[in-house]
Amino acid sequence: MTATAQIVVPAGSPPPAPPRAGRPRRAGLGERTIPYLLLAPAVVTMLVLLGWPMVQVIGISFRRLDLGELVRGEVVWIGLENYREVLADPEVWTVVARTVLFTAAVVAATVLAGLLLAVLMRHLSGGVRVALQVTLVLAWATPILATTTVFQWIFDQQYGILNKTLVKLGFDSFAGYSWFSSGTSTLTVIGMLIIWQAVPFVCFTIYAGLLGTPQELYEAASMDGASPWQAFANVSWPSIRPLVTLATFLSVIWDFKVFAQVWAIRQGGPDGGSTTLPLLLYLKGVAGRHFGVASAIAVLMILVLLVLTARYLQLLLRSREADLS
Amino acid sequence: MKRWTKAITGVAAVALATAGCAGSGGSGGGGDDAGQNEDRTLTVWLMNGSAPETLTDALHKEFEQTHDGVTVKYEVQEWNGIQDKLTTALGGQNPPDIIELGNTQAPAFASQEVLTDLSGDVGDLNGDQWLESLKASGEWDGKQYSTPFYAANREVLYRTDMFEQAGITAPPTSRQEWLDAITKLKAKFGSDPQFQALYLPGQNWYTLLSFIYDEGGDIAEKDGTKFTATLTSDEAKAGLEFYKQLVEASGTTAPKDNDEQTPEQAGIFGQGKVAMMIGLPWEVDTATKDAPDLKAKISGFPIPSKNAGETAPVFQGGSNLAIPVNSANADLAKDYLKLMLSSKYQTMLAEAGMVPGASTDLSPLEKNPVSKAMADASQNGRAVPATPTWATIEAGQNPLKDMLTAYLTGAKDLNQATADANAALDAAFSG
Repeated sequence: MTATAQIVVPAGSPPPAPPRAGRPRRAGLGERTIPYLLLAPAVVTMLVLLGWPMVQVIGISFRRLDLGELVRGEVVWIGLENYREVLADPEVWTVVARTVLFTAAVVAATVLAGLLLAVLMRHLSGGVRVALQVTLVLAWATPILATTTVFQWIFDQQYGILNKTLVKLGFDSFAGYSWFSSGTSTLTVIGMLIIWQAVPFVCFTIYAGLLGTPQELYEAASMDGASPWQAFANVSWPSIRPLVTLATFLSVIWDFKVFAQVWAIRQGGPDGGSTTLPLLLYLKGVAGRHFGVASAIAVLMILVLLVLTARYLQLLLRSREADLS
Repeated sequence: MKRWTKAITGVAAVALATAGCAGSGGSGGGGDDAGQNEDRTLTVWLMNGSAPETLTDALHKEFEQTHDGVTVKYEVQEWNGIQDKLTTALGGQNPPDIIELGNTQAPAFASQEVLTDLSGDVGDLNGDQWLESLKASGEWDGKQYSTPFYAANREVLYRTDMFEQAGITAPPTSRQEWLDAITKLKAKFGSDPQFQALYLPGQNWYTLLSFIYDEGGDIAEKDGTKFTATLTSDEAKAGLEFYKQLVEASGTTAPKDNDEQTPEQAGIFGQGKVAMMIGLPWEVDTATKDAPDLKAKISGFPIPSKNAGETAPVFQGGSNLAIPVNSANADLAKDYLKLMLSSKYQTMLAEAGMVPGASTDLSPLEKNPVSKAMADASQNGRAVPATPTWATIEAGQNPLKDMLTAYLTGAKDLNQATADANAALDAAFSG
């Protein structure tokens, strides 16, 4: 948004501050505390709803907390035992690698598809554009599990429309082909499902950025003889870059911790081949009732997410500082 | 921290108790005979679709009449998400006094010692008539933590009209006869491309268990509280081979990579192009929901054994009843169990079409051919390994399902498929 604003308002000296009459007066106590009081409800809510559970999770990750301890209200501290157990399990590392790769692929595809659709939308005429927008909104608005069910049926071995269509087109080997027979194939289907649901938001976000780009800049570029690619690279891209970064960052967070779709498709199967970190957490924690181990996995997930999004956080913090100075 | 929590809950409990007393003090006031039972509430959680309302109404009326001042607070729970709900409820300060547990979930609760040990009460609770498979599900480390409630097992549901037209005079009583029936059915109806002699999806692992038991094998071996997978045994392999033989002989178009719930097999059976499916008695109702005239044409027979004239052992699904260890009314709860497991109410369960957990009298089931087939096979019922880790296996990643799909689709050969599943099962057992 900042970049868009910079383009709309040509860079230059800031408008002069309104002249202030008299000597600067000292703000009263009430005036100084009001901003904090106004912030307080939000801060308190966040601390209660997000901060406290977070502290709890970290605390529990150092405890043995199975069903028995939970019911009897026992607190058993076992230090780093949960972490040792999780990190010593080779399966966990496979799952971490799989989750990171899966997230990277899905985010890349989502952002690319969203970007292309946004650019396409800018070039479409009224009616077609509205049709595309309505379609995107519908894909976005459909409940997650409803879309998941539709995808399950599309890829169904016997009754799925995909296999039937492929056979009609002459690919006879797809008669009764099982799309869920390997982890990779299953994750590909899940990835497509998640991309399908995620593209609309990314697309609209970027499209908003494109709308904010003044038309004159494109006219100027075309007068200078810029090719469409050059126009995109030099006019569109600078104005949407922060939004693309934002969409990427949000997508990483969402796709990394996506659970419902992955679970609904094949519960992480076959042979655990589509198990991602959130599923592992569920299997160990909720299904296996090892809440301590699950908390350790949760902490591990937060750490992996921090590593993945470190660059963005850095940018975010830096731009804050820039705003402040 | 622990002491703090206890203190606070103690204060809260006292406050609640006094509040409760104050509320009712007006009428109860004097020294009447209600004694210690005054205004006690027994909270009972049973599952949706388990005990019919007529049974619970009668039972709760009788219980309240014989226990002065006691109110039964009866709550019907949904299966979906019940494990989480039970975990939360048992961890709370005011747990239910009677809970129903799926028999495969029971060991997970028993092993954590969150259920009252009922070993000393088995005799009082009709223990000599308990169903063996459910009794085993309720045991952990030599103690009895939950009692049988009711069970059900799968049978072959079939279309009598199709059997008649294909010239099959009596239901098959051996594997060979079963395969012969499939051949005859295909000869008669095979010209219809949508016809399936037997609908059998690739991941119906309950049926696979039957075949493995029938070969004399099992999926795991018990040693104390430890289980070791035995899927690489010759018996288990033979069971898996017969499953494949059946899938191939029947020409079923059911998905090899899914179970009998997706798509729901009863719905496909109800479309009228399927002669047999392996299912539970009440799937008949689901199948005939949109085709009521089909109902009279559906009957059942026990899953045939490889030994002519016998029925194959079956996996028995069902429920157990238990008392949470922190129930404040364990004495009342035991009385409640005693009544529920008495022959009167167990007979009512049987009349509702379920195999009673604490009564060997199956005569009410024999009135209907479909429930009779279940009752006949129920004598030979078995349970999955009574280990807490089984709940995790059933929650999602069941190696038996993966093994079936891999073997049936040819992704793995018999040795590879069983070895992989064996390793996965052992890993799951080690929790």
